[in-house]
Amino acid sequence: MRDDKPLVTIRGLRFLRGDRAIFDGVDLDIPRGKVTAIMGPSGTGKTTLLKLIGGQLRPAAGTINVDGELVHQLATRDLYRLRMRMGMLFQSGALLTDISVFENVAYPLREHTGLPESLIRKLVLLKLEAVGLRGARDLMPHELSGGMARRVALARAIALDPMMIMYDEPFTGQDPISMGVLVKLIRSLNDASRLTSIIVSHDVREAAQIADYIYLISNGIVIEHGVPEAMLSSASEWTSQFMNGLADGPVPFHYPAPALEQDLMGAAG
Amino acid sequence: MNNNRMLEITVGAFMALGLLALFFLSMQVSNLSAASSGGGYNVEARFDNIGSLKVRSPVTMAGVRVGRVSAIDFDRKTFEAVVTLHIDSDYEQAIPDDTFAKIFTAGLLGEQYIGLDAGGSPNFLAEGGKISLTQSALVLEEIIGQFLFSKAEEGGKVE
Amino acid sequence: MLDLLARLGRIGIGSLEQLGRGHLLLLYMVVGVGELFTHPRLLLKQLYSVGVLSLLIVAISGTFVGMVLGLQGYYILSQFGAEQTLGVMVSASLVRELGPVVTALLFAGRAGSALTAEIGLMKATEQLSGLEMMAVNPVKRILTPRFFAGHISMPMLAAMFSALGVMGGYFVGVGLLGVDDGAFWSQMQAKIDFDDDVLNGVIKSLVFGLVCTWIALFQGYSAVPTAEGVSRATTRTVVHSSLAVLGLDFILTALMFGE
Ligand SMILES: Nc1ncnc2c1ncn2[C@@H]1O[C@H](COP(=O)(O)OP(=O)(O)OP(=O)(O)O)[C@@H](O)[C@H]1O
Ligand SMILES: [Mg+2]
Repeated sequence: MRDDKPLVTIRGLRFLRGDRAIFDGVDLDIPRGKVTAIMGPSGTGKTTLLKLIGGQLRPAAGTINVDGELVHQLATRDLYRLRMRMGMLFQSGALLTDISVFENVAYPLREHTGLPESLIRKLVLLKLEAVGLRGARDLMPHELSGGMARRVALARAIALDPMMIMYDEPFTGQDPISMGVLVKLIRSLNDASRLTSIIVSHDVREAAQIADYIYLISNGIVIEHGVPEAMLSSASEWTSQFMNGLADGPVPFHYPAPALEQDLMGAAG
Repeated sequence: MNNNRMLEITVGAFMALGLLALFFLSMQVSNLSAASSGGGYNVEARFDNIGSLKVRSPVTMAGVRVGRVSAIDFDRKTFEAVVTLHIDSDYEQAIPDDTFAKIFTAGLLGEQYIGLDAGGSPNFLAEGGKISLTQSALVLEEIIGQFLFSKAEEGGKVE
Repeated sequence: MLDLLARLGRIGIGSLEQLGRGHLLLLYMVVGVGELFTHPRLLLKQLYSVGVLSLLIVAISGTFVGMVLGLQGYYILSQFGAEQTLGVMVSASLVRELGPVVTALLFAGRAGSALTAEIGLMKATEQLSGLEMMAVNPVKRILTPRFFAGHISMPMLAAMFSALGVMGGYFVGVGLLGVDDGAFWSQMQAKIDFDDDVLNGVIKSLVFGLVCTWIALFQGYSAVPTAEGVSRATTRTVVHSSLAVLGLDFILTALMFGE
């Protein structure tokens, strides 16, 4: 019965960086056991949103409810307990640079489970196999390419078999083959273990292919949300511009700034 | 795992070297070896003036260091300085009770110390003993003052 | 005028905030001490990179400083016919001042800057955030072992500096310039007091160890997470640590040796 409720519920979220509101009244639901894509132009705050859900940042107003707990009000200990059930794939991978690929994937296992070494070894190799990097287990992170590092980070994120994984742009830097593998992997993780996935992506095609539901955010608010088919054929000018990657339209490409003439004049005067 | 072993050994060697250095500083460089030899006994000596004698100044006998000053107090009744000397345990039964204590200065401007001149008594000082024969520190200003005074007197006579 | 005042106020508030954060970080690091018992290997690793790797430069500097002291001291003291007290001069200056202070300065340059750069880069590459999301507290796991490693290493390094310095002074004074061997040591032992000199020197280096490591870690942890931010933080570590060491040395000396 509880399964019907969304895993993550965000209401009236407001978040400021300095004086600039990154989010101003965002309402968002992440359904359980589904893949939800969060899309939007670069710099709108997609990464920020994931960090808010993970409790690394605190909202100025509004609530973020993850599995029945208010993330921003949890005590440190409870927050850490909740995070054990969340995996996060950082945009940069965020691997620990002083230990090998194998140790990186083993890290959360060693940290949070008392499993014997032989079992840890098996688990790590299985996770690495899933991302196609079992052969790279003895490499150090600086010996990996960006795409490989991201895949190792993915193996690490799923090491603890969390209830939810947040992927921050998992597809950038992947060639078509590993992209296809990743899409399949994320999908199968979801279907096999009823994992909830949040994917931040720019890649409209892949996201539409993999996601059950799509949120489009820009300018601090949710512009539109719906199932991929509906989004692709949306009547909204904004949505269709973004989804079809057109240069002309209402989507702002520029970071907020005064008019160009004004800036140029100001520099001269 | 071989790596780990190396790490342990290097760090262990580092700590050992550090402790060795501390040990060297305590035993070889400082006076801990002398002070910590334990035992010893205290005797008391009274002076009219101790000059710039300090706690921990050396106490010597025939030039050999036998102890140190462990406390300096002021007697309100007699207006004397009461100096407690700590004599090392090696020198038990070695200082006659009619020993004479003088305050000397090492070099012209050096630090002051107590020199003991052994007497001839068959009895020796022990814990709580008192040295009754003392000579105060020479205070440079007083000496110069006396010297000038006597010169002036001499001059007066000649005239 | 008012602008100036406002700017001054802003700087004041800013530094107070920094100070507050610094102290909070210190508190968190100290509270994390239990981590050292559950993960002793972390401390071991840091003792290696903070302590052992600083050993060479400290040992070489100590020896040479001691030799120079022996040489200069001999020339000055022999003018008063007091070359017998060379040992006292060499060891007193080393144990009380030069050992703790120069070691701390070297430490700030060698280990402190490395700590700041390491932590700053870990922050810039999101490794600290990554740990947080893995439900691992980065302050406890990353900063605490480094903090205590610095705290433990400093007195060790300072003691080695002083000990090697005394040896260097002995080598020059007794070995090369012909000061009497017995006088060198006996005068030294008569004048250098364990409590007053050696222990106070150790206390000094404990304080310096705390301050230098603390500054280094705080600068790394609060660095702007870019290449430039990290490089600035590294510079600040060396400058702030050096100034802090010299200032604290004056205060500690006044407290300890002033009668
Ligand atoms: N540490 C920070 N301090 C101040 N502003 C920040 C900071 N981090 C991010 N921002 C601002 O927050 C906004 C959102 O950043 P965020 O990284 O969440 O964007 P994003 O949607 O993930 O972009 P991208 O798709 O390019 O990764 C950006 O416009 C950026 O200017
Ligand atoms: Mg981003």
